[in-house]
Amino acid sequence: MKSTLTQKTPSLNISHLQLKQQGTPLLSLNEEVKGGEVLTIMGPSGSGKSTLLNWLVGMLPSDFTATGELYLNGQDITNTASHLRHIGLLYQDPLLFPHLTVAGNIAFAMPKGDKQTRRDEISEALNQVGLAGMEKRCPQHLSGGQQARVALLRVLLSKPKAILLDEPFSKLDSQLRQETRQLVFEQIQRYSLPAVMVTHDQSDAIAAQGKVITLDTLSLNEVAS
Amino acid sequence: MIVANTLFTRVVRNSPYLLIALLVVPVLGGLLGVLLPAFGWFPALGAHEFGLFGFVQLFQTPGIERMVLLSFGTSLASTLLAFIITILILASYFNSPWLKRIQRLLGPILVIPHAAAAIAIGFLITPSGFLSRLVSPWLTGWDTPPDWLLPHDPYGLSIIFGLTLKELPFLLLIALGVLAQPEIGKTLRAQHKVASSLGYCPMTGFLKVILPSLYGYMRLPLLAVLAYSSASVEIPLILGPNTPPTLAVAIMQWFNDVDLSLRIKASSGAILQIVITLSLLGSWWLLELFVKQCSAAFLINGEREYGGMLIKRLTDMITIAMLTVIGLALVAMVLWSFAGFWSYPDILPQQLVSLHWTSALLQMQTPLFNTLVIAISTTLIAIALTLLVLEAEQQNTKTISAISGFIIYLPLLIPSIAFLFGIVWLFEQVNSQHAYVNVVFSHLLFVLPYVFLSLANSYRRLDPRFSSVAASLGVPPSKIFWQLKLPLLISPILIASALGLAISFSQYLPTLLSGAGRINTITTEAVTLANGASRRTSAVYALMQMLLPALFFILAWAVPKFFFRKRG
Repeated sequence: MKSTLTQKTPSLNISHLQLKQQGTPLLSLNEEVKGGEVLTIMGPSGSGKSTLLNWLVGMLPSDFTATGELYLNGQDITNTASHLRHIGLLYQDPLLFPHLTVAGNIAFAMPKGDKQTRRDEISEALNQVGLAGMEKRCPQHLSGGQQARVALLRVLLSKPKAILLDEPFSKLDSQLRQETRQLVFEQIQRYSLPAVMVTHDQSDAIAAQGKVITLDTLSLNEVAS
Repeated sequence: MIVANTLFTRVVRNSPYLLIALLVVPVLGGLLGVLLPAFGWFPALGAHEFGLFGFVQLFQTPGIERMVLLSFGTSLASTLLAFIITILILASYFNSPWLKRIQRLLGPILVIPHAAAAIAIGFLITPSGFLSRLVSPWLTGWDTPPDWLLPHDPYGLSIIFGLTLKELPFLLLIALGVLAQPEIGKTLRAQHKVASSLGYCPMTGFLKVILPSLYGYMRLPLLAVLAYSSASVEIPLILGPNTPPTLAVAIMQWFNDVDLSLRIKASSGAILQIVITLSLLGSWWLLELFVKQCSAAFLINGEREYGGMLIKRLTDMITIAMLTVIGLALVAMVLWSFAGFWSYPDILPQQLVSLHWTSALLQMQTPLFNTLVIAISTTLIAIALTLLVLEAEQQNTKTISAISGFIIYLPLLIPSIAFLFGIVWLFEQVNSQHAYVNVVFSHLLFVLPYVFLSLANSYRRLDPRFSSVAASLGVPPSKIFWQLKLPLLISPILIASALGLAISFSQYLPTLLSGAGRINTITTEAVTLANGASRRTSAVYALMQMLLPALFFILAWAVPKFFFRKRG
């Protein structure tokens, strides 16, 4: 039976996490992220940022081990299969599916339901992010910024309970980066989603306005700023 | 790139023309050599007028509809089955260490020639075969072999079984090769991860996200498998029915008949074979359109799970059954090659003897010599020509044109039975009496595409800066080729050589026809023995067919490790 923490507000709780790589300690973390908040993880390559995200989505490679628990909205999901966790992922590459249209990519992510309702919902969502009328476009024919917005809509309309951002703005130019970043953080607050963001960029961390943890490869200490 | 005008650079520059001529002339000439008799022009028989009587004769042949149906049905069913099982295996074990294990187990099956595979499967499914012995008498109560018509069943089930088992590893390894490519594999894996984060179970995620992209890369190999299986001779000859056989087998029998007048019917049959192959390719295309149309809504309906666990269990069972069948077939073949007296339903022979091996080894000296001489000559020519063409690409700083690329694979796409007889006619026209040369020439048509496919990637990926540095030091192009590029590429060259040898070892029809029956190789002997009286001798020949390519692949793998290991 799954254990639960009594909790009503949305939250992602990383409890006493110890990550090891082939027996060598990599990082330790004990954090709670509330709905609408963004926890930013920074640190040099090899400090364990991506490994942490892999653990959060339940896809830890076999040469890593982890102890600790993960609670989502109070429910223990430490051993839940990755596809049943309801944790959305946003990468630096939009990773839109090339065999589906823009609307198809979003519909793919939405829960089952009435066709027309789903269609209306997609059109409305596209309209909100300035992509009205682009339902039938191929993802390859969109600009980088447009692709990033479709990827965001795809995650949001799948109705996740939390969201992970893996350097989501690193491939965008500075103007686009600011716009997309603002849009993403607005949506996170609007849907009251707990979010964890991995980034190399200090400006992303500042814009997120949440707690920042810097991972250190040598000392394994977390430094909060 | 500006290169000096030396003998070497001139040879390199002209090598692509030689390659294209070597492939186009025989294939098109061969087709012409079949087309003319098919429409009645066959001077050797005094037929100088064009007409359709070859086709009239063909369609009056008893059982012709059945032959066509068998060729069409067995190839479509086996390709479809091999493809579906490949996808099930990929979808079930994607991102799992089991996929690598299955790949390691199935990889060696690729080097087993079709004839040897058919013989091995025959040993397993015949009434007194290993399969019925394993379950008798304790489960079935059989004390004598059951009365079933396997192999040689009239519906071609044995052919479907044989072709599926042989083509499955090829398709699986093609798909895994695509997934192993750094850029494509990384993107597809990340997309699968996205699907998983959106709530899709791994199998549905694979089918809805990866398969549509992966299929594009598998399409050409799939069509090649379909074209090959529609006109293959070895497996239907060993496992298929005789009354009537598949069209390709019947054509081969008509061409080899002492009655020369059957050549006209055989030529018309070869044209019909091309039509069947084209219809199959067309049917596959229609099937693709149908599936694409039907799956449009399925892909985006939001359904995350389709009984994945049940399908996973089913795939586990299919995979285990398939690996067991392959394992048992090999064990049965080894046992038969050493079996003394072996009464039914005993699982093991009463005695094991080496007699079959010693007597077969004595008999096979000439076939073995022929096999090695032909394979080594063919492979050396193929490797040399491929290297020169790839070097020409680098000197011209562009890859060969799409048309030339297509021509290289032409012999694999056109049913060989449709042009090989024409090649024999061409040999007669140019009065080529040297059976060895003729056989090497016809083997080259099938060895060249595989050697090119195997070597091209490595050669093209070689860092061009090595050559630039050497050229800046005043080293001429020939020296760069011989002393820099070839040593750097020794490992892929050896692997391509082993592949070339394996392809040549496995050739049955080209050897039989171009050699005019005068050149016996291990493969022609194995096929002849397969339907003969001695199962034991047949097992020895089939095992030799497997051991030869395996030996050269081991050498190709071990030689660089032994001679080029890191110093220090």
